[in-house]
Amino acid sequence: MTFSKNESLSSSNLKALQLSYLKETVLRVYHLVPFYKKKFEELGIKPSDINTLEDISKLPFTKKQDLRDNYPFGLFSVDMDQIVRIHSSSGTTGKPTVVGYTEHDMDIWAEVMGRVFTMGGLTCKDLLHNATGYGLFTGGLGFHSAAERMKIAVIPSSTGFTSRQLLLLRDFGATAITGTPSFALHLAEKAKAEGYDIKKDFKLKVGFFGAEPASEGLKNEIANIWGIDYIEVYGLSEIIGPGVASSCKHSHLLHVNEDHFYPEIIDPKTGEVLEDGERGELVVTTLTKQGLPIIRYRTGDITSITRVPCRCGRTLCRIESIVGRSDDMLVINGVNVFPSQIEHVLSKINDITINYQIIAQKKGYLDKLEIDIELSENFMSDDVNEFNQLKKKIEHELLNALYINVDVKLVAPRSIQRSEGKAIRVIDKRAN
Amino acid sequence: MKYAIKQLSVFIENKAGELSDFTQVLSKNGISIKSILLADSTDFGLVRTIVDNPERAKAILEEEGFSVRFTNVFGVKIEDVVGSFDKVVTALAHENINIQYTYSFYEANIGIFIFSVEQNSFEEAIKILEKNSIEIVSASHFYA
Repeated sequence: MTFSKNESLSSSNLKALQLSYLKETVLRVYHLVPFYKKKFEELGIKPSDINTLEDISKLPFTKKQDLRDNYPFGLFSVDMDQIVRIHSSSGTTGKPTVVGYTEHDMDIWAEVMGRVFTMGGLTCKDLLHNATGYGLFTGGLGFHSAAERMKIAVIPSSTGFTSRQLLLLRDFGATAITGTPSFALHLAEKAKAEGYDIKKDFKLKVGFFGAEPASEGLKNEIANIWGIDYIEVYGLSEIIGPGVASSCKHSHLLHVNEDHFYPEIIDPKTGEVLEDGERGELVVTTLTKQGLPIIRYRTGDITSITRVPCRCGRTLCRIESIVGRSDDMLVINGVNVFPSQIEHVLSKINDITINYQIIAQKKGYLDKLEIDIELSENFMSDDVNEFNQLKKKIEHELLNALYINVDVKLVAPRSIQRSEGKAIRVIDKRAN
Repeated sequence: MKYAIKQLSVFIENKAGELSDFTQVLSKNGISIKSILLADSTDFGLVRTIVDNPERAKAILEEEGFSVRFTNVFGVKIEDVVGSFDKVVTALAHENINIQYTYSFYEANIGIFIFSVEQNSFEEAIKILEKNSIEIVSASHFYA
């Protein structure tokens, strides 16, 4: 079952719809947002130059810094009398970014979140335990408002107070939960420690998780512990918040609500648009938003797009779960590598931990990658060969999976320097 | 297992100061090294050592973050005359016992050779040596 007929449009109808929305959005930003008018003029383009969807590549990118430079409301395309909600991201590295929604934008948000909830099988009969943070962050209220519109009973539990959350989860009998994957694991651990029988005491059947990357192993673990379907929700405040894309019950890939948010994959270094299936940085253009329309927003998230039809019947394109951040990307002799990919390979090998450090250096003209990996505390041998075989095995797996030649160095448990409890993952000694 | 000496095998990285970190832990805790053998690869080394209190040494080293493992080895007394080492090695070779490594040290004027063989042929190796009247040192000889 789908929430909206736009989720299963034919390719030609979807494209026609996207193009008409794109033209509208381009007109809107050109005439109403001085920042964009200036950018268009610098590039020598006019709204009339956009005649096909492919023409989108002529348009300028928008970066997080652009939102900061126009703090707080400089990129809004409407006056404050039209704005009904404001959210803001934390400003840990500079000014915060501010986003605003009109009534119309709130409708769109509810629409796309309605699709997400429907992918998880929710109806007005369900109870949603919303353990996502409330406040300036778009997560908590994003789930909340949309669930209310669908007449789903929302329990605004937010984060923290784990013991009380467990009590409410049991006593209210919530059938669905939201939150970060790490909070879902934390709740499960606490539940076990407090003597709950997870599968008997709770009635959860589905969870909506996001805001953090999670490996497939972690997703399966959460799904198994709680006995629920794991629906991954992707979003970012600059675009709308949660609801840009989400997975359905049929696969781990996420359907992009592309009738509202137009996705492209680009090479983060050159800005060039990549083909379907190729990994690169996700760039999103809002097609229907009014308060803060955004052209080609550089999300910094690395993924790829597929248009292979999904068994659920939706025709919306799908993206992979985010593989990494473009800021973390290493280019080793022309091959793009993300620490998360390396971590994924390491996590499948016994006798080592996933505490590792990647050291990139130049050897002559070539890049040389060394990875120091902490041995598992349980692994120790009196035989030098066993260590060498383990080293060879890891190097082989990395070459197979990532096409990179790596020099693996096995190091003692807990020997890699930690920063606030986390190992420092990448040391790039190459002069940039 | 009168003859099984608990040798410590310790993983250390191949960089300056690693070995001294290891030896300092032992000396600070009053543990005496009876014999030591270093096996190295380009990146790391394995320290094999016999100490006077292996159980305590293992506990202390692990607390300090070292990866430690016990390996059973045996020691053989060998006179300082031509052919005495050959006699031991040949006796084992005749029975297809594979020697993994060996190292030696002297106590007064007696040489003691430490042997590591595959763990599942340990008992057999001892029997062969006894049959050949080769003097094996009991493990307790090393312990404080």
